[in-house]
Amino acid sequence: MAKARKLDKRRKSVRNIEKITRTMELIATAKFRKAMDRATAASAFTDRITHLVKELSAAGLEVSHPLLESRDKKENVLFLVLTSNRGLCGGYNGSVMRLAAAHYRELKSQYSATRLEVSGKRGISALRFRRVEIDQTFTQFEDKPRFDEVEPVADRYLDEFISGRVDRIDIAYTKFLNASRQIATVETLLPLASLSGEASEAESQPQQHGVSSYEFLPSAESILDEVVPASFKVRLFKCFLDAAVSEQIARRVAMQSASDNAKDMIRQLSTTYNRARQSQITNEIMEVIGGAEALNG
Amino acid sequence: MALTCIVVTPEETAVNQTADFVAVPLYDGEIGIAPKHSPVIGRLGFGELRIRSGSTVDRYYIDGGFVHVVNDVVSILTSRAIPAAKLDENAANAQLREASAKRAPTDEQRQARDRSMSQARGQLAVARRARRS
Repeated sequence: MAKARKLDKRRKSVRNIEKITRTMELIATAKFRKAMDRATAASAFTDRITHLVKELSAAGLEVSHPLLESRDKKENVLFLVLTSNRGLCGGYNGSVMRLAAAHYRELKSQYSATRLEVSGKRGISALRFRRVEIDQTFTQFEDKPRFDEVEPVADRYLDEFISGRVDRIDIAYTKFLNASRQIATVETLLPLASLSGEASEAESQPQQHGVSSYEFLPSAESILDEVVPASFKVRLFKCFLDAAVSEQIARRVAMQSASDNAKDMIRQLSTTYNRARQSQITNEIMEVIGGAEALNG
Repeated sequence: MALTCIVVTPEETAVNQTADFVAVPLYDGEIGIAPKHSPVIGRLGFGELRIRSGSTVDRYYIDGGFVHVVNDVVSILTSRAIPAAKLDENAANAQLREASAKRAPTDEQRQARDRSMSQARGQLAVARRARRS
């Protein structure tokens, strides 16, 4: 009897786990939808900024700004790693951390001073475990990062870069390509390689320089001065949004396979349980018959 | 003939509506945009955005950014767009007090302080006007 009961108990607990993972999967799906909407809204802003830059360059303006110039000096570098606060999301944090650790070593060999900033409890504890020193940590960014929260961070980075305290800012995060593809990447935030990353498209279009139908208030240069920091802020914000969307997807996939595994396990346990029960009954019958035979004899 | 007014923040498209007239806070004062306005790209300050369509006027607080006018489409890119009724006057007052009490020995700090002060003043002005109307 003992074995069958044990199996039944185990089946029950697996069933409970399946319920939990299934719920988490549904929650992650709902959150993913919301996060995805936010990411699309943010890209509307980036598209418009790109458009603005295109108009500016069409006005014959040389696109130059302190934030766009790469520096020869290799002294101070800041490295930001975006991970999640919660676990149970498969390889999401692992892949970012793996990439970040390799990049961190590389930066350390190139620059004399490397600062590390980490967002997300998972990344913080992983780095603590590896005994890596972290200069600043953020845990306030949950699945809905707000622009108001990201902006102070962006302002601080801008300030440090412009004043020369930092020569380069890199970021490691999970980039959201589409609903079925997210990859962990390392990118250089500052100096900005190009405005909103789509300047190549702007360049490929033939443009008449010096001819612009726009009136610039106060002047194209002054607008450019404002556009560049704004596009940096949005870019950083987009990284946070991408990371949030990818986290939800990773969690959904992980929980989906966990639920599937639980289902398989329940099926297996049921078969073994039925078999154990059957053999137990057979045994009992044998015993009864054996006893009856013994009495007869 | 009407304008289309679109306000985009990094988080959302806050406004997308038709309007008869739009008043936008530029860096040095207000600009009014009526249909058939010539193409303009302008830098925004901290202040009130008014969108008039028919007899209704919508007021928003705009936190810097850019305005882009072309073909009767007014796009406003800003980091924040808060409906005037939802402004928190107490918070703005506190921000103003805090900023004006702060000492700013370097140029950068002074810039940050001025920015914070004009933000707070802009919010207060918009809130006051919204109350009066």
